[in-house]
Amino acid sequence: MPSPFLTPGSTAQADGLALLHLRRDQSIPTILRSYDDENQGYDEGRVENTRFGSFPHSTLINKPWGSQIIASVVDTGSRGRKSDAAKKRKADELDASGTTTGADDEKSSLKKPVSASSGFIHLIAPTPEAWTLSLPHRTQVVYTPDYSYILHRLRARPGNTVIEAGAGSGSFTHASVRAVFNGYPDSTAPAPKRRRLGKVCSYEFHEPRAGRVKEEVSQHGLDGIVEVTHRDVYEDGFLLDDPKTGRSPNANAIFLDLPAPWLALKHLVRNPPSGTVSPLDPSSPAYLCTFSPCLEQAERTISTMRQLGWLSITMVEVNHHMIDVKRERIGLDAQGVRGALVAPRSVDEAVAKMRSDENRTRRFREAEAEGRSVEDERKTLDKEQPAQTPSEIPSYGLGRLVHRTEDNLKTHTSYLVFAILPREWSEEDEQKCREKWPSAQTDADATAAPKSKRQMKQEARAKRQQEEQEAQEQSQQGTDAKDE
Amino acid sequence: MHSYIRPDQFVALRLPSDMLKIVKLIPDTTVNLGKYGLFPANQIIGRPFYLTYEIDSPDEKDGHVLRAVSAAELHAEALIADADVDGEADGLEQEEGTPMRSNRETVDDASTQRLTVQEIEELKKTATGAGREIVEKILESHSALDQKTAFSLAKYTLRKRKKFIKRFTIFPMDVSLLTNYILEGRDAARTLELRDEHIGLLGCLGNVHHGGNLALDSSPVPKPNSRYFVVDDTGGLVVAAMAERMGILYPRDEDEADEDEQQHTPNKRPRPAPMSASGNTITVVHSYSQPNLSLLKYFGYDTDKPDESHPLHTHLKSISWMQLIDPMADPIYENEPPVLSASELESFKQSKRSAYFHKRNRWEKVKSVVDEARDGGFDGLIVSTLMEPAGILKHLVPLLAGSGSVAVYSPTIEPLTQLMDMYSTARRTAFIHRRREIETQGGSDAELNEEFELDPTILLPPNLHTLRVRQWQVLPGRTHPLMSSRGGAEGYLFHGLRVFPSTQKIQAAGAFRKRRKVTSTATPGSDSDVEMASTSV
Repeated sequence: MPSPFLTPGSTAQADGLALLHLRRDQSIPTILRSYDDENQGYDEGRVENTRFGSFPHSTLINKPWGSQIIASVVDTGSRGRKSDAAKKRKADELDASGTTTGADDEKSSLKKPVSASSGFIHLIAPTPEAWTLSLPHRTQVVYTPDYSYILHRLRARPGNTVIEAGAGSGSFTHASVRAVFNGYPDSTAPAPKRRRLGKVCSYEFHEPRAGRVKEEVSQHGLDGIVEVTHRDVYEDGFLLDDPKTGRSPNANAIFLDLPAPWLALKHLVRNPPSGTVSPLDPSSPAYLCTFSPCLEQAERTISTMRQLGWLSITMVEVNHHMIDVKRERIGLDAQGVRGALVAPRSVDEAVAKMRSDENRTRRFREAEAEGRSVEDERKTLDKEQPAQTPSEIPSYGLGRLVHRTEDNLKTHTSYLVFAILPREWSEEDEQKCREKWPSAQTDADATAAPKSKRQMKQEARAKRQQEEQEAQEQSQQGTDAKDE
Repeated sequence: MHSYIRPDQFVALRLPSDMLKIVKLIPDTTVNLGKYGLFPANQIIGRPFYLTYEIDSPDEKDGHVLRAVSAAELHAEALIADADVDGEADGLEQEEGTPMRSNRETVDDASTQRLTVQEIEELKKTATGAGREIVEKILESHSALDQKTAFSLAKYTLRKRKKFIKRFTIFPMDVSLLTNYILEGRDAARTLELRDEHIGLLGCLGNVHHGGNLALDSSPVPKPNSRYFVVDDTGGLVVAAMAERMGILYPRDEDEADEDEQQHTPNKRPRPAPMSASGNTITVVHSYSQPNLSLLKYFGYDTDKPDESHPLHTHLKSISWMQLIDPMADPIYENEPPVLSASELESFKQSKRSAYFHKRNRWEKVKSVVDEARDGGFDGLIVSTLMEPAGILKHLVPLLAGSGSVAVYSPTIEPLTQLMDMYSTARRTAFIHRRREIETQGGSDAELNEEFELDPTILLPPNLHTLRVRQWQVLPGRTHPLMSSRGGAEGYLFHGLRVFPSTQKIQAAGAFRKRRKVTSTATPGSDSDVEMASTSV
C-alpha cells in the first residue's frame, strides 16, 4: 500500500494513517479501520472520541483529504456492558468453531452513524510536520525547524541514503524519508534500472523503541524505504544485518542523535581498520550532522571529527519561534468588547473624557444648588450626549494589528555540528586523472587577468582617443601638405 | 550527483579570505584567483569535491601547480591544542611558577613588525611554498611575538595566513551554496535575503517532495503526485530549491543514464515535449510574459535555450497570471492553429510547414499547461514574492487539493501579519454569516467578494514562523558564538492547509478555553541560581 505520507492520493483510505485535526497544533493520528479492530464495542464499528465529539471511522474512510467532518451521535454509555456480552459471546463462538473472528462478524452489521448537532474536525493527510506534533513521545523529539535545516545541510535529496542513529520517537525518520523518497522499491511501475532509490537506515539501541519504530514504519506504508535495525552503534557500527559481515548501507548522509556521538564516529570512515566494508557511499562525499544538547558533547565530537579527517566542520544552533498575530483594541469606546483594553487611545481622548467628566460634576453641583433632583439632571445629561454612531469599519477590522512571540518559547534545542568527508582520492586516481586532463595544453589568452567592465570601458576610451588623435594628426598633415 | 568535478560545470571556490568565487570549469582554460594566483582548470576537473589545494610553483615533470592539502594539515593547530587540553586537564593554566601571560605589555602600534611593505612585496615575488614562507618570515620578524598569549598568537597567524597563503577549497554548486553566495554578495535583495534555514523550512512546510514511481492506475482514485505551484520573485532560487527537493534540479549524469534503454532504441527516442510531465512538476506563476529564472543557469538549465535532456525541460511549467485568470485574453491560448490534413501539409513549403508545427506545438503546450493549472488539484503552493500575498492566495488556494500546503516567505513581517489577519476568527465568522445571509436573503457573490478579499474558510487557521541560525566558533578552550553576522531582513514564513468546509450548517462544540501551562520563567531572577531554573532534560 502506498504511504499516505508520500503519495496520499485524493481520499483517505482504510488501513492508512489519517490525522484528525482538532485545533492549531493539535491533531490525533489514527489508522482508519473499516472494522472494530480494537473491539471497542461501538455499534458504528471503530470510533475516535475527541473533545469535539465522536467520529466513527466509517464517516472518514474514502472522504477527500481536507474535508470538514461532522461529529456523530455515538452511544458511549452502554457499550461497557455490551462489550462484555460480546466478549462472552465471542468466547463461546471460539469454543464452538474456533475459526471465525469477531471482526468479520461485525463488518457487515455496522450501524449507520447519525450526525450530531455540534462538533467537527478536519481530516488531514499526514505529513512529517503534523506527525512530529502529534506522535507518541518516547524520547526528546527533533522538531521541524531543526530537521528542516539539518536535512537541507545534509543534502538529503531524492535517491540518497540517510543513516539515522537514535531513531527515538521517529520524528526525524519521517522527515528524512520524505527528503530521500523517489519511488517504492517493490512498485510494479517500470523504474529505471540503474537509478538508486532513496532509503533511510535507522538504528536504535533501545529494543522496545526499535520495535515501536518498526511497527510504525510498517503501518505508515514505509516498508522497504526505512530499514530499522536494533543495534548499539557505538560498539557494532552501521552495517546492515550482521555487524561484521553485513551489507553496507552506502550512506550519503548521517544524522547522529546520540548521547556520545564521538563513540560512533570511528565506524564512519572510508577504510575501517577492522577490515569490514565502509558504511559510506564510496562514490560521493559523506555529510554528517550530530545533535547534542550540551556544549561539552559538541566539543568532544568536533575534536574526534578533526582526528578522523572530517572537513568543513561547523557548529550552529537554530533559534525558532512562532508568532501570534491579533488585533489589539484600545479606547474608551471599547467598553464590553472582548479582549479590549478600556483606556484612552490618545491625549485628545483623555482630555475630552476629562472635560466631559468635569462638565458633569459641575452640572450636578449646579442642580444641587438650585434644588433640582440630581437624578433628573443625569437623565438630561445622558440625553444630551450624542448617540454613538456605529463605526463604518466592521468589528473584525477594528484595532491595531500587532504581533508578538508565542507564549512558550524554546530557547535551546541542541547544538548542531556539521561536517563533510570527501570521497577517497588515491595517488593512483590522481595520476589517471592527470593523464585524462593534461594541464599542459592551456590557452595562452586566458592567462591574462580577466578585466572588469570598467577596465574594458577605460581601455576602449583610451583606444578611441588615440585613434581620434591619429586621425586628427593625419588630417592636419593632409591640410599641411595641401598648403604646401 | 556530486561524485566528482565534471567539465563545463559551475563550481565554487572558497578563498582564504572566506570569499566565494563561482567559476565555470571549461577544459583547457586557466582559472584566475587574483592575488591568490592562477591554475589550469584541467588540474581540478575529474577530482572529488571538498578538497583543499595550494597553488605552488609548477612541477618539473607535468607542470602541475596544485598540491592537495590533507585534513591533518588543515586541522594541525587545533589537533595540537586539543591534545594539550586533554593532557593538562585545563589548557588555560600555566605551569606553576611561570607567570600567566597576558596582554598587559602589548604595544598598540605597528612598530613591532620589522618587515616593511616593500620587503613583503619583494617576498611575494620570490617566495615559494604557496605563501607559507612569507607567513613564516613575517612571524619571525615580529619583535614582540613572545609577549603574545597563545590565543592572540593563533589569531595573528590566522590573519596573516588569510592574506598570503594561496589556498582554495572546491564546493559543488547546489542551492545552499548559491543562497550563501548571493547573501554574501552585494545584491542580497535580489533573492529577498533568503537564508539556508528559510529554504529548508519553506520546503518542509510546503511538503515538497518527489512524486514517486506509482503508475497512475494503481491507486483507487487516479491523481498525479507532487504537483506544486511556485510564485518566485527571487530569480529562480526558490524554484531551484524546490526542484532540488523533487530531484529534478541536476542534469542526469551520463554514467548514470540507462544504457540498456539507449541501446534498445537507438536515436528513436522521441524528443520530449517541453512542460509535458504529468507528475512531480513545478508550475511557476509569473507576472510578465516570461518568468525570470536566470539563476537556474548555474544548474545547467538556461531558460532561453533549454537543454532538452535536463529534467526541468519537462517538469518545469510556466504560466502567467493573465493566462491563469483570464486565458481568453492570451493571444496564443485563444487562437488555435487549425488542424491540417497530411495532404495540405504536403503542399506547404518546408519553411511554412515548420512554422506551422512550431505554432501548433506552442499552442498545445500553452493549452495543456493552462488547462491543467485551472483544473486544480495541486499538492502545494510555495510563495516568495514582492507582490501582495492575499491576491496570490485568493486565486491559488482554491486550486489546491485537500490538505495541500501553503507556505509563504516574506523578508519582512508586515505583509504576513496582514495575511494572518485575513484568516482571523472574527473575519472568518463574519464571512460565514454574510455568506449565509446572501444565500437566504438573496444577493450576489460579488458583494461577498467585495467585502472579503479572499475566502477565509478554505484554509485552516495558519501559523507564522521565524527562525535564525547562529554559528559558533569551536576551538579548544575558545568556544563561543561568532561575534558578528549578517543583519538585514529577519525573514518570516506563513503556513496553512487547504480544507473543504462542510456545506452543512456547523456548530462548534466544546468551546471551553484551556489556560496554557507556563512551566518556567524564561529568565532566572537575580536572586535565584541559574542551576535552579534549569529543567530536567
